[in-house]
Amino acid sequence: MRRLRGASLGVFALAAALCACNRGGPGDRPTVALVLKTLNNDFFIEMTEGAQAAADSLGVELLVQAPEREIDVEKQMQIIENLIQRRVDALLLTPSGSREVVPAVVEANAAGIPVVVLDTRVDEEALRRADGSVATFIGSDNVEGGRIAGQFVADRLGGRGPVAIIEGIPGHETGDSRLRGFREAIAEHPGITIVSSQTANWERDQAFNVTQNTLQSHPEVRAIFAANDPMALGAVEAIAAAGRTGDLVLVGFDAQPDARTAIRGGRMDATVAQNPREMGRLAVVSAHTLLNGGSVPPEQPVEIELVTRENAQPGGEAEAAEPESAAIEPAERAAAEPAQSEPGDAKGVGAAAESAAPGGGAP
Amino acid sequence: MSTVLEASAAPPAGRRRARRLHAREFGTLAGLLVLCLALWIATPHFLTVSNLLNVVQQSAIIGIVAVGMTFVILSGGIDLSVGSLVALSGIALGTAVQAGAPVPAAAAVGLGVGLASGLVNGALVTLGRIPPFIATLGMMSVARGLALMLSDGRPISGYPESFRFLATGHLLGVPVPVILMLAIYALAHLVLTRTLLGRYTYAIGGNEDAAALSGVPVRAYKAAVYGISGLLSAVTSLVLVARLNSAQPIAGIMYELDAIAAVVIGGTSLLGGSGSVAGTLVGALIMATLRNGLNLLGVSSYVQQVAIGVVIVAAVLVDVGLRRRAARGTVV
Repeated sequence: MRRLRGASLGVFALAAALCACNRGGPGDRPTVALVLKTLNNDFFIEMTEGAQAAADSLGVELLVQAPEREIDVEKQMQIIENLIQRRVDALLLTPSGSREVVPAVVEANAAGIPVVVLDTRVDEEALRRADGSVATFIGSDNVEGGRIAGQFVADRLGGRGPVAIIEGIPGHETGDSRLRGFREAIAEHPGITIVSSQTANWERDQAFNVTQNTLQSHPEVRAIFAANDPMALGAVEAIAAAGRTGDLVLVGFDAQPDARTAIRGGRMDATVAQNPREMGRLAVVSAHTLLNGGSVPPEQPVEIELVTRENAQPGGEAEAAEPESAAIEPAERAAAEPAQSEPGDAKGVGAAAESAAPGGGAP
Repeated sequence: MSTVLEASAAPPAGRRRARRLHAREFGTLAGLLVLCLALWIATPHFLTVSNLLNVVQQSAIIGIVAVGMTFVILSGGIDLSVGSLVALSGIALGTAVQAGAPVPAAAAVGLGVGLASGLVNGALVTLGRIPPFIATLGMMSVARGLALMLSDGRPISGYPESFRFLATGHLLGVPVPVILMLAIYALAHLVLTRTLLGRYTYAIGGNEDAAALSGVPVRAYKAAVYGISGLLSAVTSLVLVARLNSAQPIAGIMYELDAIAAVVIGGTSLLGGSGSVAGTLVGALIMATLRNGLNLLGVSSYVQQVAIGVVIVAAVLVDVGLRRRAARGTVV
């Protein structure tokens, strides 16, 4: 008997901690879950901050969960299943795998939980075949973003020269779209050839190695396009280690704070801004609208822009300014699209705009 | 040290060992029950039939890998290649399906690849005399690379409903992966307790030299143990591919560590020679329950990793304590 107690002691301490975690019932506030690909990436952290700000102002309980690794679809599915068991009122999801996540979406559908997809699309054909549905997709047009990046590279190179690509995880809709856009833009310039295109699985450390290898095998490369900023930042280090900073054009994607800093410092040339904060905010607002019986458009594009040395504002100020300017938008949007939302939720959205931007000039 | 001596000692000591094992398993089981009790108090969503089935189903993937890992660890080895073998077997299956093979044949290809790779591990360890850590570390990289080469780095998606039944189907209301996992545990338990293979696995892990001296064909049985681990990795890959409707070359990363954690939480000694699959099952359930509970409670993902680490270390601390007390008991 004493052994028995001994064995359970450790777990018991943890269990007690668990109980303590469940402080205060959420009352009748709706619970919205945000399931991310990972929390080890500024992009998703900014998305979380945007979502949290909106949740606070709308009186929504926000749960944020993510697998330890971005590529772990199976664990992401487990998280979704667990949240369905918890009966969250809405699910906001950035799929780790466009096709793989479909069964989990279908389970949420069956439980009557509306699914809002952010950033990466769920594969439409697979979803249709499984009879699943998502309420709305909120994200950037990644093909267009890739095209903008490709055009920038072409302009900088004067229309000729060898180029290398650092890919994300193959089969990810986001990365594939960016590459497609980039290749389309490059294809318009016959003088530019893509001499190398390798994956670094979205990760900074892997991109360091891939870039180092690319610079070894293709020292003639004049420009590198990385499908996200962490990989571009890995490339920054590899280029610096090779003593070639400023020698070739480096373009990333996501406009993360570190990348903006690198651009201001001349170690990177451009990045495509996606505004994850706005995605997170819009997702919570959409869920809130849906839960109050309103409707949301099936596609909600979030604007993209190219960030270069000219417009890479100092990180801190830009970060602080962003949510305010973003928060003004929904009121405008709600005003501009009165047909798409119920009067009740339009008021809710308006209130969100006011409280999310204290002192900000809501129109 | 005490384990080594006891495992190679005469039958009476063996019986004593068996009794102590029971105590340890009950300790782990008590831990699981306490965890469940706490979650039941903490959230109304935990103790529902659908959530409990959900937890058991989620434990199936790591649970099946962990059976093979238990065999290897009992024999005094380690298998770091299981995660990569899950990916490679899955890709082998996917490639076969893509090439037009009927699903049962494709599944056989996947299982064959897993078994063969496991046996290569076994050969490297026995004939090559390479430490298991190194041999399977090599296989971990080779198998991952082969999976990426075969698939061109891309997932292979789209499988018939009949195959997906393995992960999405129910028999008498119980999810198929759960039935499969329980069947594998029952079989593994019988093998370990009732067969020569089982007895030799403990003997080799307890004291390899003593086992060899008493006439155990150490090499053959050791190789077989790695074969079992490879085969069970392949079985896991079938369930995983069916669940995701996609074979991924990057699947299974870090599964080896989750499997080792389940084995260790279940009270099997990393030194080999003592432990049981029953303990491993409880270990896998504790890990799945913990993750599920932390999700239900909405605990931050960062905190979850801390909690899982704490449980692993706490389980081993308890285990070491029990071992020491048991050793004192034997001396007296």
